[in-house]
Amino acid sequence: MMKMKNHIDELFKDIPSNNETEMVKQEIMQNLEEKVFYLMEHGKEEDDAINKAIVEFGDIEELKKELGVKQPEKKNMAKLNLEFSIWGSSLIIVFFIFINFYYTPDTIWAIYPIFTILWWPLSMYFVWSRKQ
Amino acid sequence: MVRSDIIRGHLDSIILRLFLEKDRYGYEISQEISLRTDNRFQIKEATLYAVFQRLEKRELIEAYYGDVSHGGKRKYYRITTLGKAYLKELVSEWTEVKEIINLFMEGLE
Repeated sequence: MMKMKNHIDELFKDIPSNNETEMVKQEIMQNLEEKVFYLMEHGKEEDDAINKAIVEFGDIEELKKELGVKQPEKKNMAKLNLEFSIWGSSLIIVFFIFINFYYTPDTIWAIYPIFTILWWPLSMYFVWSRKQ
Repeated sequence: MVRSDIIRGHLDSIILRLFLEKDRYGYEISQEISLRTDNRFQIKEATLYAVFQRLEKRELIEAYYGDVSHGGKRKYYRITTLGKAYLKELVSEWTEVKEIINLFMEGLE
């Protein structure tokens, strides 16, 4: 039976231990033991019975979901990056336009830095749209 | 063995039905399912306890501790009034679904 207990402990290792999960774990242990006894009564060796019970137990993921174990989820930063780049680039653009028209109103040189700076929101837009 | 993902959506109904007949504990349910389907469908324990958790949270079944057997106290479940009403709804829904699917699946074999 130790083998069974170890297996269940292994399955539960990602699940935070609290009252609820302990109860479920105990319930599962109890029922699996019952299954093993049943199989043994029907002529299986103890090792066979335990193996069969373990194999037939299945995938714990579903149970984890019910027990509310949070899957580590990546926050979607693409949108935030895009917003930041738009605000940042507009500020810089406004700044260049101001300098340009304030000091040298006769030569329009501000387009060159504006073109350069526009690559920033453009690339962020690309990343964002690819994640949609 | 039948593909379990098709049955998956109806596990609640199957299990509620078994609780409607009488109070049962976990292993009894999985045994009963294998027995009635003649082993054509076997429920995995992990799935079974996930369903119990879900049903219990939605107050469709409630648990209590019963007699002691091999190694520990058995945890029994009984269906609640809410559970009975929900099962009734599931049954009429299933009748509807069956008719619709049959419109397309029947007479082809």
